[in-house]
Amino acid sequence: MVEHFFRHEYGRLVATLARKAGLRHLSLVEDSVQGALHAALTAWTAHGPPDDPGAWLYRVAFNNLTGELRRTAGRLRILERTVGTVAEGEDPPAPSYFVGEVADDMLRMLFVCCDDAIPRHSRLVLALKTLCGFSVAEIALRLFTTEASVYKRLARARDRLRESPLDLQTPPFETLRARLPGVQAVLYLLFNEGYLSAHPEQAIRRELCDEAVHLTTLLAEHPVGAVPETFALLALMHLHAARLGARRDGMGGLLLLEEQDRSLWDRERMRQGAQWLERSATGEVFSRFHAEAGIAAEHCFAPSFGQTRWEEIAELYSMLERFAPSPLHMLNRAVAVAEWQGAIAGLAVLQGYVPPAWLVGSYLWDAVLGDLHRRAGNLEIARQHRERALASAPTEAVRELLRRRLIVPT
Amino acid sequence: MPTQKYLCLQRSSPGRQMQQPSPAQMQEMYSAFNAWKEKFKANILDMGGRLKPGGKFLGESGVTDGPLVETKELIGGFMIIAAESYDHALGIAGACPGLIAPGSGVEVREIVGP
Repeated sequence: MVEHFFRHEYGRLVATLARKAGLRHLSLVEDSVQGALHAALTAWTAHGPPDDPGAWLYRVAFNNLTGELRRTAGRLRILERTVGTVAEGEDPPAPSYFVGEVADDMLRMLFVCCDDAIPRHSRLVLALKTLCGFSVAEIALRLFTTEASVYKRLARARDRLRESPLDLQTPPFETLRARLPGVQAVLYLLFNEGYLSAHPEQAIRRELCDEAVHLTTLLAEHPVGAVPETFALLALMHLHAARLGARRDGMGGLLLLEEQDRSLWDRERMRQGAQWLERSATGEVFSRFHAEAGIAAEHCFAPSFGQTRWEEIAELYSMLERFAPSPLHMLNRAVAVAEWQGAIAGLAVLQGYVPPAWLVGSYLWDAVLGDLHRRAGNLEIARQHRERALASAPTEAVRELLRRRLIVPT
Repeated sequence: MPTQKYLCLQRSSPGRQMQQPSPAQMQEMYSAFNAWKEKFKANILDMGGRLKPGGKFLGESGVTDGPLVETKELIGGFMIIAAESYDHALGIAGACPGLIAPGSGVEVREIVGP
């Protein structure tokens, strides 16, 4: 059985059946699909899987749903309006399992998840639940939050969907296009939840990255989402994911970029990333995703840490700052400038800047300053930053990395 | 090739519903079950199946609602396996994924006969 078959079937079936039944029945749809998977578990273990497992699941989920709608709606008239004319005993219409149509349904559902009316924090949770087939407990584990909080976010999303006039059938192309930046933002968030996660299990982090790549690929290959920003977003995901496997040593400890074994980087991913990056360069658009993908590409395709084109990276970071002003981007630019022109030049980038409280409280600010001051020879200042960075490190793996990196000679 | 047959009855206490497994967990269960089936394919004579709830009891006094009401644990499924010994049969049934879980267990009975 293909990896994640059950989870991905869940997403496809929910997307397709939610279109047929309408969003207000989303919970019923999810229950029907869950029931179909459960039935498969019993039937397939006893008799082996059917020739077309996807069609089998569709048929059972569809029957579950119509049965459930019949019970809850009570009147056949309502049923007919929502699911179409399905007489009892008659076979449901042939499943729309042509690749294009499933992709359509998945994307429609993705755009629904990114409805402006849904609170930002609920969008990601709704996408993880309906499109990726994660349970509430699994989402809580991945987002470092409680199950209660996931339930709450889901409930808010479902409330909004019930009120929303928008239905899966209706949004015209222009409406979808207008919502595209919101969709890209959720996909970016989904990827980063995996990529930046402090979760100790590599497989779990990788899974979220793969889901993001999967959905972004659907978007990039569909007319509604095929724009340079989406291509750049997909490029940056591939280029980051290519290096994911080399970020840890054999003991699970984090590795600095310069310590990573570059031969472990995923060549196939790098090739795909380069291809999408090339496609993203068609047209007049340059977005924050372009800048980030460019930075990732510089790192990926540098033959060694020493031969990295730091000047390019510093330039890309200042472009990124223009699109998405953030102290983190400035901090990264300082690091790139320090590699390019020396630690003093790097410190000059941060000269006079007063960091916001959240940044001072995180280990990143002190870690960078500690490193730059050490290299500039300001040992006393370096030591102070080192202490503060170690104190605020979020995980033991990060603390260990900082200890190694920020050794100050006495 | 063992010839002694054993009947395995899956029993569960009503009302003790396990939390619904997630799609990912279901796939894991599916893989685990298939691996078990493959490992013991020489021992599994009849995969049997899951029993639908309900059913009636036919006795001297005619048909009554069954299954036997005094049983606290309901029979949810059955299968027939072949094993070298009773302990061997217990081992095979015990290794079956999902059979032994909160609120569920298996009764193993030796079938008399050649």
